Amino acid sequence: MTIIKRIFKKREITALAFLIVLFLGVGLRNPDFINMQSVSTVLKGSVIYILLAVGMTFVLLTGGIDVSVGATLGISAAISATMIRDGSSVVLSILVALAIGIIIGLINGIGVAIVKVPAIIMTLGILGITRGTMIVYTNGRWVENLPDFFKKASQASFGGLNHYFVLAVITVALVQLYFSKAKTGRFFAAIGDNVEGAVLVGIPVKKMMIIAYVVSGFCAAIAGVIFASQVGFVTSNTGFDIEMVAIAACVLGGVSLSGGIGSVIGSSIGAIIMTAINSALIFLKVPSFWNKSIQGLLLILIVVSDVLIHKYFQEKARKQRLSAKSSFVGGDE
Amino acid sequence: MEKWKEFKGKWEISLALFLIIEILIFGFINPRFLKIKVLMNSANDFVTVAIIALFMTLVIITGGIDISIGSVVGLSSVVMGLLWQELGFNIWFALSIAIMVGALCGAFNGFLVAYVGVQAMVATLGTSFLYAGISLVIIGFSGISPAEGITGFPDSFRALGHGELFGVPSSLIIFVLLIISVYIILHKTTYGRRVYLTGINKAAAEFSGIKTKLVILSTHMLVGMGAAISGMYITSYLSSSRADHGATLTLSVITAVVLGGTAITGGEGSIVGTALASVIIGLMTLGLQMAGLSTQFVGIGIGLLLVISVAIKSSLGEGNLFSDIKRKIKSKVSG
Repeated sequence: MTIIKRIFKKREITALAFLIVLFLGVGLRNPDFINMQSVSTVLKGSVIYILLAVGMTFVLLTGGIDVSVGATLGISAAISATMIRDGSSVVLSILVALAIGIIIGLINGIGVAIVKVPAIIMTLGILGITRGTMIVYTNGRWVENLPDFFKKASQASFGGLNHYFVLAVITVALVQLYFSKAKTGRFFAAIGDNVEGAVLVGIPVKKMMIIAYVVSGFCAAIAGVIFASQVGFVTSNTGFDIEMVAIAACVLGGVSLSGGIGSVIGSSIGAIIMTAINSALIFLKVPSFWNKSIQGLLLILIVVSDVLIHKYFQEKARKQRLSAKSSFVGGDE
Repeated sequence: MEKWKEFKGKWEISLALFLIIEILIFGFINPRFLKIKVLMNSANDFVTVAIIALFMTLVIITGGIDISIGSVVGLSSVVMGLLWQELGFNIWFALSIAIMVGALCGAFNGFLVAYVGVQAMVATLGTSFLYAGISLVIIGFSGISPAEGITGFPDSFRALGHGELFGVPSSLIIFVLLIISVYIILHKTTYGRRVYLTGINKAAAEFSGIKTKLVILSTHMLVGMGAAISGMYITSYLSSSRADHGATLTLSVITAVVLGGTAITGGEGSIVGTALASVIIGLMTLGLQMAGLSTQFVGIGIGLLLVISVAIKSSLGEGNLFSDIKRKIKSKVSG
């Protein structure tokens, strides 16, 4: 088991290596791709996906899934943008957006942890409800004419790095610290690994599961506000299918959809990869319609190789156990 | 087993009751809703969801899920339009190839899930990107405008979506024919029993000589085929083939299956339930529109229906009891 775990722990490194190879490979064909400006464009573009992936990691670690984040992003973007356009203070608008994210997360969490609705069903239903509510709220119209200071906030940079990206990096670092150092941080993975076991050792399973969904909704709401600021307008389609990209980013970064395995560093590297493919194609002068199929192919390749590696080591470990059993009576079982 | 059958029966009966109440309420709000013609024509709108949901029931009963169906709908639509317009194929031949492409997409999903061992959700997430991507690439190379798609199909093909037989719209005929055939496949054949057993207890199914991998692969192939059939219907009904035809179908399809009483964890479910649930969702879409509410409320309605019905179902004691027993058996066999 330790070997398998070690391989999975290295998944962040393989993902990072892939990202570097991607940058260098494309850079060989077109050196413009590795200059400061295009790298920072990729990083800036990945902020939304990183935040979504961080929230999603919490949920995936507990063995659940949250497909409602795209709609949460959309509704918080729409509401905060409308409030800011109509002259409310930015702080208040952001707080309202975050509160909405938390409420949606709370509903998801209560549904999954207490009412025991399967996570995919619960969040799928909330996805439909939230998206419908958002369109009713905006009347199907775009939210445009956002004030300049709000849009310019997305351009601000700190030592060459975009403010929002710095925010995302700090978030990832803090969450990673929380997962690895704090006592409660390990509960999430423990629940995903073995729910009954987690209950037996006294982990407050229901509470932690609800927290996971709340964090996911909260992150999606932040991503929504940042989306409004970066893009400058909110369409009624905002956030459509974005949950799929977030889940794909987590999978790329080594988070297991069956729970218990993964880290936020991995999933945010996955998020950067998803964005980098997009700009890499532009720099390779490949038509952008290839984008989706390449993302899909990559995802399938990575998942398949993951499963095969896992199987190989499981088989190897089993053989070792068998030979250990035959030489010593009473092995490690 | 007795108890389970009883419970399943109750669920279908309550669905039927809900359907009647729904028709009465909408009829009360807008009497035009009760016209037979209006009710029958509503099938035009929900049959796309219903076709896929019928086949999806099989996949979910085996314990899997397929979220790539939306992309398969778009891909089959593009493939058909392209074969017909650019390569000059006979339209019915193009249609058969497109359905085969759908089956092939499903088979690839099934291969990844059953033989490679990737989780169904992850595998079909990846392929949903892939299939949607392939249709975009095809469209990109052929130089067709993605917004308009391919149009100008012959009338014989458009009759598939708009035709009538003895006053019954073709969509309703397709729906009923598919209900009967999938019902027979799932409830009256050995194959159907194998599908159930694979979902209830895969290890036990394997030990009793069922090739569970093949069963899982075939259910995915069927749902791919269903998605392609649905894609053909949309192409005919809207008279255009586009890559994004199925983009919003996933929520409705899974809602129909789960509302119909199929457990997302596998092992239980029925075609009658899925069919009833599809009609409930379809009539709700129509009814909300006829009650003067905009289509935007439909998503809210479907979402509420999904969450509330599953919450009720999971809080019913019998349902929980059964799944507990099932889990215990499972852990005993695998451990």
